[in-house]
Amino acid sequence: MSVFEIQGLTRDYGKRRGVFDLSFAINQGEVFGFLGPNGAGKTTTIRHLMGFLKPEKGYCSIGGKDCWKDRDDIQKNLGYIPGEMVFFDDMTGTDFLAFMSKYRKIQSNNRTKELLDRFELDARSKLKKMSKGMKQKVGIVAAFMHDPEILILDEPTSGLDPLMQNRFIDLVLEEKARGKTILMSSHMFEEVERTCNRVAIIKNGKLVAMDDVEKLKAEQAKKYVITLENEDAAAAFASEGLRVSGVSHNQVTVIVKNNIKELISVMNRYPVINIVTPNQSLEEIFMHYYGGGRS
Amino acid sequence: MNWVLYKRGIQGSWKMLLIFAAVITMYFTVIISMFDPSLGSALDEFAKAMPELMAIVGMNPVSVELVGFLEAYLYGFIMLVFPMLFCILSTNKLITRHIDRGSMTYLLAAPVKRETVAFTQLAVMVTGIFALVSYATLLGIVNCEISFPGELDIGKFILLNTGVLCLQLFIGGICFLCSCTFNDSKYAIGVGAGVPTLGFIIQMMANAGNELENAKYATFFTLFDSDGIIAGDSGAIWEMLVLFAGAIILYSTAIVIFSKKDLHI
Repeated sequence: MSVFEIQGLTRDYGKRRGVFDLSFAINQGEVFGFLGPNGAGKTTTIRHLMGFLKPEKGYCSIGGKDCWKDRDDIQKNLGYIPGEMVFFDDMTGTDFLAFMSKYRKIQSNNRTKELLDRFELDARSKLKKMSKGMKQKVGIVAAFMHDPEILILDEPTSGLDPLMQNRFIDLVLEEKARGKTILMSSHMFEEVERTCNRVAIIKNGKLVAMDDVEKLKAEQAKKYVITLENEDAAAAFASEGLRVSGVSHNQVTVIVKNNIKELISVMNRYPVINIVTPNQSLEEIFMHYYGGGRS
Repeated sequence: MNWVLYKRGIQGSWKMLLIFAAVITMYFTVIISMFDPSLGSALDEFAKAMPELMAIVGMNPVSVELVGFLEAYLYGFIMLVFPMLFCILSTNKLITRHIDRGSMTYLLAAPVKRETVAFTQLAVMVTGIFALVSYATLLGIVNCEISFPGELDIGKFILLNTGVLCLQLFIGGICFLCSCTFNDSKYAIGVGAGVPTLGFIIQMMANAGNELENAKYATFFTLFDSDGIIAGDSGAIWEMLVLFAGAIILYSTAIVIFSKKDLHI
């Protein structure tokens, strides 16, 4: 049974900005990665799901309820981490969480305490004096404290250190095991790889790819930057029949999908000084799979 | 109405309210002390010396009684401008800033209807206006009873304050409507503060008399006819009711617009 349903969602901001005829569905118990470069329309889609924007065309629903008409009803069982953390400036984190708890009419605060401990958050300082990471933690606690069935997480780990990112991934995995349905936008490969069942990639407001994470991982193309002794060696290396995406001076960039052995055997015959695997964004990794990633 | 949000709004406004109350206290105390029932006041001397200038700021007494004195010197400028400023600042704090900065997200990412959020914030503003005008009423009565026992026509004074209350509720309605309508804080503040300010300036021009007198038909400030209220004119009461009804219409429109509009938060 699908929990999220987006059907032909369209909002045109002009100049190819917005979302166009977007359709997808997310099943009960699924963690769904929602990826795309900045300005692709992820946040616009999420604003529609949250009932902040009314669709120009098409419709979206959560749990069978219309995201625009039944927005307050949907919110009973929904947790949301906004892409940008903006609170009421004059409150402390503790005050804010207490306010949200009463505002939402939450009966028990056990969950809040547990979350504060998990993220080692001392929320007693003023929100406006908090670092980005601390604010992010406050936002995470606010999204999970009422133990919602459905979660919309817009870049939930931005600003968190690697340790806390890991704790967050564990939290998502626990929630997944408890049958929660989660839509998560992210730029972190590890986060998506470890948590999501499926991912969708949008670009210029259109869905360009949607598939199982396992399948994508199997097909994943990796990039290696090989530094050779001199430019001649680099030029010769580049003409060895490997998939080369660029040569500059004595460096060759090679794309490797399954033929890592082939690369190693070629490297053995050349004066290789160094080999680096640069950090690739998620979009880049997945877009290689679908070809035409570069524009 | 969401009481948790209401409480939060009151907590956020009381400091500002206190400042306004302090300013009003100062003016009331100083001006009331200038009243002299037997000789006419120092202010009346000013009014005789510079009738045009004093008329522009609404200070042209029609009555020699204490209530007429208060009407002329406090309810032509002070009690118009300061509560108006409070309305502008208050709506900015309660709605515009939340939309502009994005903190409205947290108010709406909860099982609370948009109508409820808007109505609650409105209730906070109305509470503020009501508190400010009630305080001024009480302050005026107490001050007069101490300095000039028995001189003040309390009934008329309360009626005068009811008139100011209706006017300020209407001004608050304009500000609130603008903050609920415009997504851009530039317009929300610009129009919300601009329309009442312009109305007030037109009123000042009309007060100056002569050929500009007809300008009074171009501003809603005319509907607060303080001279008429003091003179016991029934038309003035009707105008008060028009302002009140207008305020209700503005509030309802604002809440409907806020509930239906797109929020880029």
